Parts: sequence; structure tokens; C-alpha cells
Amino acid sequence: MSAFAAVRKSLQLNRENAIGYGLLIPSIIIFAVFTFWPFLYTVYLSFFDWNMISPEKEFVGFKNYMEVLGDPRTYQILGNTFLYIVILLAINCVVPYIFAFVIGVVLQRWNGFYKSALFLPAFISLVVGSILFTWILNPVSGPVAIVFGWIGLEIPNWTKTEGWVILVLSLITSWKVFGYNFILLYASINGISKEIIESARLDNIPLWRIFLQIILPMSSATGVYVFILTIVQSLQYVFTPVKVVTQGGPDYASSNLIYHAYHEAFVVYRTGHSATLSIMTMGLFLVLLFLYFKFADRGIYYEN
Amino acid sequence: MKINRTVEFTWHVIFMATVLVLVFPIIYAVGMSFKPLEDAYNNVLNIFSLHPTLENYITFFDTLPVLKVTMNTFIIASVATIFKVFTSFLAAYAFVYFQFKGKEIVYFLLISTIFIPFTVTMIPNYLIISDLGLLDSVWGVILPQLADAIGIFLITQSMRSIPLSLIEVARLDNLGHGKIMKDIVFPLVRPAVTSVGIWFFISSWNEFVWPVLILKTTENYTLPLALQMYISSEGGTNFTVAMAVSVITMIIPLILYLTFQKYIIGTFTSSGIK
Repeated sequence: MSAFAAVRKSLQLNRENAIGYGLLIPSIIIFAVFTFWPFLYTVYLSFFDWNMISPEKEFVGFKNYMEVLGDPRTYQILGNTFLYIVILLAINCVVPYIFAFVIGVVLQRWNGFYKSALFLPAFISLVVGSILFTWILNPVSGPVAIVFGWIGLEIPNWTKTEGWVILVLSLITSWKVFGYNFILLYASINGISKEIIESARLDNIPLWRIFLQIILPMSSATGVYVFILTIVQSLQYVFTPVKVVTQGGPDYASSNLIYHAYHEAFVVYRTGHSATLSIMTMGLFLVLLFLYFKFADRGIYYEN
Repeated sequence: MKINRTVEFTWHVIFMATVLVLVFPIIYAVGMSFKPLEDAYNNVLNIFSLHPTLENYITFFDTLPVLKVTMNTFIIASVATIFKVFTSFLAAYAFVYFQFKGKEIVYFLLISTIFIPFTVTMIPNYLIISDLGLLDSVWGVILPQLADAIGIFLITQSMRSIPLSLIEVARLDNLGHGKIMKDIVFPLVRPAVTSVGIWFFISSWNEFVWPVLILKTTENYTLPLALQMYISSEGGTNFTVAMAVSVITMIIPLILYLTFQKYIIGTFTSSGIK
């Protein structure tokens, strides 16, 4: 009898296994074919010289890695990438955190309006955003340049100036990314018990301490997620304004690892270099993720 | 909560300024799309022209098969959305209601794809689409987008909030999984599924990076690709036409957002998305 029950149980388990996997098959197939296999194939391509057209791929060992690491341009682009990361984190992680706190906890009026308006650009194409800001921030004939001209300020020719170009392209990207991050953080802060905050207020604890000592720790799981998302996804979003406005110029000053990998593959057809850069980007993301988790995991308070 | 009047006022000023920076470009684009070219350069600060014209829209309709381009965008966005919602729903159901070997590993592997940069898969995917003969076709754009890690994640989160006892009772009544999915789980997660669906549709509508690799001829373009033509170095820069194309590109997402905003924000802020 017990043997029978065991067989029945194991049959049931097998059946559960089968149905479980069955439901996952569509997703697994898509991810296997279009994410996991391509990832392995890109690793493979990083060891070959190829131009995407020629029937022959030439095995070159670590030559692509040596060339990419020996190229001073790689370090320029790496520097650009870090600059993008720092600016994007400041605008799309720090600022929305503070905004979400003030709108969720401090202000009593117009909260709904602010939420809708800040989230709005997240629904609009970044190509649209890139073109709008290219016109609005045109250093000669754009509306901002004209208004600045009244008070004697000049707008730098940002599409052609090193440094400025990264700042402005980051701002354009932030236009799209800001609201999404804001909503995620708002959701998390909104989920914190109002009683805790109220009692802190009754004890006359200043707002900045409420933010640092109650809100920040209690929303940190979302905070970490938004931090990582900002690095990984906004760096990829930057691709759009770079492609539309500057094509990486002037002289690679606005290129980053993502755009450069695209440029190597689809403009100059060096798949080996492109694959190598992509693997390096992936490595960089993994290091950042790892460092952050190692550094921040202790203080994380998991909501729910 | 009582707060200092000055502090409150300062914050309202900051938020209003931010809203202005974010929303002004959209209004400005609408105004500029109705300006004649010389007006755009001479009356920069007038948001709306004194001599409004439709010539920018007419130029767009004359130079491109606009209906075809809009249809391409629509087909890509709707097919991708339907499949993504469907595959994500099934996967979420498996993750929430089944115990099977390797579940955690599979979940982790699928979710971790959110953090893979697209350049890592770009060349092989391009080659696959090319081998399938789907270059320059909307189907080549759609094919890799039939499943979505964020969708799986969000719908899983939302299903987890359904009391398990509800499902157990249904199982004891010998209801099949198909029926449980359709009659119990789906109605309960419908708000989340709808919001995720709208989000997919709009993201796909606005998608630029992947279509730019796959679509080559203008009649197969999507709206964001068509838009890029008007300020590219080859096509010359024609900002007023670009603004008209921008307006046409923005219309559907804006209507969807303004219609469903309470709903979308509600789902985003309550279903524990993180």
C-alpha cells in the first residue's frame, strides 16, 4: 500500500514536473535561441577574425582581446562609459529617490499631477526626444540659446565639444528614463507604513533624517534594483541619442561601450572586436553588480 | 503631516520646473509641426505659429508610405505584445503554482537576462534573422521578442499575491489547470496583465535599436526609423517635417497613457513591482 502510494506520488510529481516545464517551454525556447545561444556564440566570435560576410572565420586566439586592450581608444571609450554611468546615476537614481520621498511623504497637494507628468516621457520614443532636444538646445537658433542670449549666456556647441556632448546626451536619455525610475521608487516608498513616518514626525525628527534613516533603509531593495537598472539599461538607452545625434562623435567623444560594439560590428564590420567589447561590457556589468551586492547587501531591508 | 510653508512652496517650484522641462518639448514639437520652415527659424519663441500650415505633414505623406510605415509599427507592437503577455503568463503560472526540479535555477536564469547588454546578442541574432531570410521584414523584428523577462517577473509578482488556498480549493474540486488559469487566476491578475501589456506595446512601438539593424528599405521602416531619416546627415535636416513625424509617432502612446494613466500608475505602484 505504501509502495503504491509512493509510486502514485512520484507519478504525480513527474506529471507536475512535466506540466511545469511544458508551460515554460515557449519562454525557454525563445530565450535559448535568442539570448543564451547568441551569448555563447558572441564569446566564440571574440576569438575569431571575421567581417560578417566572408565564408571563412580565422581563429586568432586572444588577438582581439590584445588589440582591444592595447588600443588607447578603448580607454577613452571606457572613460566615457564611466562618465555616462555617473551622470545617469545622479539624475536617474539620486534625484528620483528624493522626489519620490517628497511627493510620497511630504507634500499634500498635486501629488497625482506630479506623478502623471513625471511619468509621461517614459511612454515616448527616445528618437523623438533626441530630435526635440537637438532643436531646443541648438546653440545658435534654438529657443534656449535665444533666451540665454538675453542674459548674456552662451550655449556651448555641445554636439561638437568633448565633455558637453556626454552631459547633454545623458540629459536627453534621462528625459526618458527619469519617470520610470521615479515611479518604481515611489511605489516602494508608498508601501512603507505611514505610522512609522508619522511617529517620527511627532518626535520632531527633521525630514532629511527621516529620509536617510527610515525611508532609505526600508526601500533599499527597490533602491538597489533601480541602481542596477540605471547602469545596465540607461547605458543601453544612451545608444539611441548617440546614434541619432552624434554617431559617437566628435572623434569618439560621445561613444560608449555599447555604441562602440555596434560601430565595430555594423559600420566597420570587425565582428571580433565587437564581440570582444561586448564580452568586456558584460564583464563590467557583472563586476558592478557583484560589488554593489557585496557592498550593499548587509543594509538591505526586503520589503514584503 | 504639517510642514513649513516655505519648504512646501520651494518643492512645488522645483517640481513645476521639472515638469516644465519634461513636458515642454512635447508641446513645443506639436506647435513646431504646424510652422512653415521660415517661421521655425524666425519665430523660435512663439510656440504656435501665426501662419499655421499642414505642409510638414503633407511633405511626410508625400515622401514616405506613411500608412504602410504606421502599419509596420502597429503590427510589430501588437504581435510582440500578444506573444510576450501569453508566454509571460504561462511561465509565471508555472513558477507560482508548480514545484519542479530546477525551478529556482530556471527562474534565476530567465530573470538575469534583464542584465545582459543587447550588444552581447546582437551579431548572432542578426545572423539568425539573416539565415531565416527575414532581414528587412517586420517578422525579423518580431521573432526575438516573443518572450520577456520583465513580463515574467511582473506577472509572477502579481500572481504571488493571490491566496494559494483559492487554487488548492479549485484543485480539490478537480478543476484542470486550463480552467484555473482562465477562470480564477487570469481575472485576478488582469489589471497587472493589462498594464504590462500596454507597457510592452508602447516599448515595442518606440523600439529603435533592433529594428534599425533589421529594417533596410524605407517602406519597411517603423515610425521611429522614419523619423530618424529627417535629421540624418544623408537626408538633410528638415526639423519642421521631423516635428510632424514626431507628433505622429507620439500620438498612439500619448493617447494610451492619458487614457489609462490612473490604471497604469495604480498597477505600477501597488503590485509590488521591484
